[in-house]
Amino acid sequence: MIEIQNVSKWFGNFRVLENVSETIEKGQVVVICGPSGAGKSMLCKCLNGLEPFQEGDIIVDGISLNDPSTNLIKLRQKMGMVFQRFELYPHMKILQNITIAPIKVLKISQEAAEKKALELLERVGIPEQAQKFPGNLSGGQQQRVAIARALAMEPEIMLFDEPTSALDPEMIKEVLDVMIDLAKSGMTMVVVTHEMGFAREVADEIIFMERGKIIERGTDVSFFKNPKSERTKAFLDKILLV
Amino acid sequence: MLSYDFKWSILWADPYGSWMLQGIWVTIQLGLICWFIALFLGTLIGTLRVTPWKPFRLFATGYTELFRDIPLLVQLFFWYFAAPRILPHSWEMYLYREIPNSEFWIVVIGLSLYTSSRVAEHIRAGMQSIPDDQYNAALSTGFTQFQTYRYVIIPYAIRLVIPPLTTECLTVFKNTSLAMTVAVLETTFMSQQIEAYTFHGIEATTGACVVYMIITLVVVMIMGLVEKRLAVPGLITRR
Amino acid sequence: MGTFDWKVIYDNFPFLMKGLLTTFELAVIGITGGLLLGILVGMARLSSNKIIYYPATLFVNFFRSLPLLLVIFWFYFLVPLLAGRPMGDFFSASVAFVIFEASYFAEIIRAGIQSISKEQMQAAYSTGFTYGQTMRYIIIPQALRNMVPSLLTQAVVVFQDTSLAYVIGVKEFLRSASIVDAREMRSLELYAFIGVVYFIFCYSMSKLSKRLEAKKGIAK
Repeated sequence: MIEIQNVSKWFGNFRVLENVSETIEKGQVVVICGPSGAGKSMLCKCLNGLEPFQEGDIIVDGISLNDPSTNLIKLRQKMGMVFQRFELYPHMKILQNITIAPIKVLKISQEAAEKKALELLERVGIPEQAQKFPGNLSGGQQQRVAIARALAMEPEIMLFDEPTSALDPEMIKEVLDVMIDLAKSGMTMVVVTHEMGFAREVADEIIFMERGKIIERGTDVSFFKNPKSERTKAFLDKILLV
Repeated sequence: MLSYDFKWSILWADPYGSWMLQGIWVTIQLGLICWFIALFLGTLIGTLRVTPWKPFRLFATGYTELFRDIPLLVQLFFWYFAAPRILPHSWEMYLYREIPNSEFWIVVIGLSLYTSSRVAEHIRAGMQSIPDDQYNAALSTGFTQFQTYRYVIIPYAIRLVIPPLTTECLTVFKNTSLAMTVAVLETTFMSQQIEAYTFHGIEATTGACVVYMIITLVVVMIMGLVEKRLAVPGLITRR
Repeated sequence: MGTFDWKVIYDNFPFLMKGLLTTFELAVIGITGGLLLGILVGMARLSSNKIIYYPATLFVNFFRSLPLLLVIFWFYFLVPLLAGRPMGDFFSASVAFVIFEASYFAEIIRAGIQSISKEQMQAAYSTGFTYGQTMRYIIIPQALRNMVPSLLTQAVVVFQDTSLAYVIGVKEFLRSASIVDAREMRSLELYAFIGVVYFIFCYSMSKLSKRLEAKKGIAK
């Protein structure tokens, strides 16, 4: 469904992504992990055209991102994204945060959008927050709203850029539960995260990146039990205290 | 368009050229003197605004609001026309007769006080953005309040406020132009003097514009150097 | 020293108030004109199109490096020249204010829009919004809320700046007071009076701005 072909990106002398290639099938959950500055977030943002790249190509559902005739805006309707700092719109109520894109972009009616939004809020577990402002919600609640907001556009692919990194420890579980639920329902997901518990539970493939390169990839079993590279082993040692 | 005959040579012809130079020198003097007084006073008042003692804070707040909420020109007029009336008659005569350039020094008082209130605001904002724990850390090592401010808080705050202070320094130089209304012979006054003699207002005024633009460039350059010299790794002074 | 004689203010009250009215007129023109022009220039400063960006940047940097007093003189000479005939001191002063204050409003607007994080834009884009939709529904509403205190502060500055129109003879509040002073020689009462009036107005506006800023903090 997503084909990443030899993608490279650099800022002056600093190489953010170095010849990255990967294939993500429909329905797969791919977890990307690695130390800070590895380029994981950047790769995620390249997938839906938020960040440009200088070399290589990314093909989403047959559409090439490099092709000048590609309508990136239409493409983004098919891909939902969840950000590290939630990025809810602070000047709108929760319900409006979720309905504004379907109304303005998909041109569905206000009633239909609100109905859908309330269903999504149910699904992520907080239907009672619909009329509040983002500032009144906890981090975990905000992130779940962000997931609902992305799902409101009925995407085929969901991208997660460190969705739990900005959360207090006791709120991480509520967000991961929603994500696990989403994964089990068959959504194609690319998740940048340090949460290895999540990876072990639902990931079909785990990628370890460092300094812009993919160092290792594997299924959950092979990755955790028999990491091939020394770097992977060192990384796992540091973050898996158990 | 009215037919107009541009004559740029008036800017350097005798005696206009030397008038301009005189005016520029007065502008520079006025600007520098007011700036340094304002810097000193403003740091003092700004610090008072954030001390734990209510009377100091109230005084500093009142001071700042007073000078900020009245136009500078009105303040200058007050100092020049009105304030001497409060003085006993003999003092007033002394002021006008014995002190040369009394209008220059009256403007120094007015402009310095005005600018100091603005500097105080910047200093206050800088100090309030310093985390409380810096203050606590200093006190916990046995410093007095005074020592904390002198060795820890004020140096930190100064680095934070260099960008807004640069703007304020530029503002002081621009504000010196108001001194012309009370007969101080600075750049703007001289440019209008030249206009009165030659009727070439546009050239004269444009010449004065160039002077202020050069002053702006020089101030920005110097403050940039000051910022570099004082810069501390890891402390972000610029947004 | 003499005694205070407030009668001079009482006697000349209508004349002084006429001056105050002129001050308000000039301020309203300066604020609305400056804001409108400032919005255009501010947005131009955010453009990636060099033909739009450079003139706007030049405009802003040019006027912000000059004293307003000089700009007033400059337009005082320039306006009749361009118009072909004398246009009156109020008109020249108005032109000077609108253009000068626009350079300051432009910076407030530019900074306000840039203060909205890039990630907010990315979040909007990721749901399929175009640039126009993102600006309209997400960025500008937030930026406006952030800008209001600074815009109010600048409005107060414009109000105070009107006193500079004194130098080209505009009969605003300060000049009215100085005309009366020339006749009656009661400088202390007169300048104290106008000082108090300016203070009341500017202080209340700045308190209002602080209250708005505090309210904004809660609603967010």
